[in-house]
Amino acid sequence: MFKITLSPAERSYLHESLSCLSPIRPDARLNKQFRPLEATCSFLPGSNGSARIRMADGAECLASVKAKVVSLQLNNANSAQHLKNLIEVDLDINGIRDDSNLSSTIASSLKGSLVKHIPLEKLRLTHRYAFKLFIDIVVLSHSSVYPLTLLSLATYMALKSTKLPLLTSTVNDRDIEEQPMFSDDWESSLALFGDSSLSPPLLFVVAVVKDNIFIDPSPEEESVSENGICLTYANGKIISPLQTISLSPKDNTGINSAQILKAHALVKEIGPLVVKSLDEIVSDDSIKTIF
Amino acid sequence: MTEIISIRKPLNPNADSDVESSDEEMLEASLAPKNNNQSIVTPGELITEDPIWMRGHGTYYLNEKTYSSVAGTISKVNKLLSVVPLRGRYQPETGDHVVGRITEVGPKRWKVDIGARQDAALMLGSVNLPGGVLRRKSESDELQMRNFLKEGDLLNAEVQSIFQDGSASLHTRSLKYGKLRNGYFVKVPSSLIIRQKNHLHELPGSITIIIGVNGYIWISKTLYQHQKSLPSTTGNNALDSTVSSAAAKSNSYTPGQGSVSITRLEEESSWEIYSDKNEPISVATKDTIARYANCVKALAKCDIGITETRIIAAYEASMVYENAGLLLDEETMKSIGEDVLNRERMRG
Repeated sequence: MFKITLSPAERSYLHESLSCLSPIRPDARLNKQFRPLEATCSFLPGSNGSARIRMADGAECLASVKAKVVSLQLNNANSAQHLKNLIEVDLDINGIRDDSNLSSTIASSLKGSLVKHIPLEKLRLTHRYAFKLFIDIVVLSHSSVYPLTLLSLATYMALKSTKLPLLTSTVNDRDIEEQPMFSDDWESSLALFGDSSLSPPLLFVVAVVKDNIFIDPSPEEESVSENGICLTYANGKIISPLQTISLSPKDNTGINSAQILKAHALVKEIGPLVVKSLDEIVSDDSIKTIF
Repeated sequence: MTEIISIRKPLNPNADSDVESSDEEMLEASLAPKNNNQSIVTPGELITEDPIWMRGHGTYYLNEKTYSSVAGTISKVNKLLSVVPLRGRYQPETGDHVVGRITEVGPKRWKVDIGARQDAALMLGSVNLPGGVLRRKSESDELQMRNFLKEGDLLNAEVQSIFQDGSASLHTRSLKYGKLRNGYFVKVPSSLIIRQKNHLHELPGSITIIIGVNGYIWISKTLYQHQKSLPSTTGNNALDSTVSSAAAKSNSYTPGQGSVSITRLEEESSWEIYSDKNEPISVATKDTIARYANCVKALAKCDIGITETRIIAAYEASMVYENAGLLLDEETMKSIGEDVLNRERMRG
């Protein structure tokens, strides 16, 4: 994993400039400004939705959504439980073991928030069959300790660009078992989030230095930060999970409610703008034909 | 909205490269016969079949033919044929002013990362002792090496010599070298730095910049304590004497004043030269440092060689943008780069 070493003088310079009343980030960004990103989606042939997002410093993340028809076990008591199993998240972060603490924590918190915000009823095809979504995320390279922001932006775009083929066979197979049939025409496919009021959640990591909150912290900023907060944003609201994370090995002090409220307000402010610019890319790229 | 997040679509590599490569091929074909000695070669490309050439760096010899082992330009000096790589790690040369970071404290030496193939060595004997005492370094000095420089510390130094294996030996035996404080560190490819007489410059906005030949750049606040003692000994003496004759008279001239010489070593180099504490730096200065850092990054992005005048030109061009954070945008970086080049063309 990428490790940054700073001299004590650099460290105190950075900490001082980030903690003063009108903070100055080392690259002169505003505290709510992201580093420039490069993104594209719907480019992987053979997957229902895909996205690739890149930062100027070379950090890169790929996400792909693949749908597969599975037969539901007919057990009415647990049908809600079964629907939850229709989403599978697989995460691979370069340089971190798959079974490591960080990797599994990110994967589980991502899955937890996705289950709540994916229209599961849309995945249901018939009484016996449903789509199962396999969400594969690969972080090819990253400079951050906690590459969650990048990862969630990619996942958001991949899910937003996901299209499912149109079912042509009968919906009711309660009595007679029938294999589901789909339309050959990709033009008539349905977008997973097409007319839904739900939208995939976005996870943001912010760095906390004294009373200041910084979105999209650079590795240097992370290493002098006192704390990190991970916030989830969906449909104009901040939702759970909201958790504190440690971005730097030392200098961890407690967190106070004012900092959490500030972070809350910051993410609430930038959330709609991020969603808007991501959606623009998705709608631009959705015209491209795949398959 | 662009103030918060800017996402752009990547250039389509497939569509573009087709056109470009065919264009390039045509260009190359038309240029090739004219200037053969200025051409760019790729690894494995045949340079010459003539055996009279001596083979220098970046070449290899197979079946009496000379091939290039790197991508770069051919350079011919008398009968020596070598290929200068376009990119690659920094190759230290004696006399280079470099910026480095301590990676390891070893027996009687520090290992310094200077962006070269191997870490450079800074011997205990090649640094100034606090207090400027001139003596052999003893065992007790060896024990307190971490009090001078420790892992992670940034310093600027000069390449004293090159070892047999190509790694560098550094020294900081001058008051202009030593530990770095009061600023911010930026890294650019070393191929963009042009070797010059002086690598320490003062920029408008009371900023000092050290452009290490290895592509490590240190941007810091200018400290005025040295300037105060600088007398106006040469040049505009006549003008000065009329304006501030009283002040000039009170400061009588002493030989050696104003130049950083070994004679001031004792007064200047107390323990302070190894201090980790920054001076108080104003918000405006920090803002200027951040802007200069972004200007340097913009020049690097545009593959423009980095010099003092270009940094100043980029800084002036960047003043159009009130929020220096906007300089991170690729389009903005390109327009700054074009601006700098246009200015140079205007001057001739």
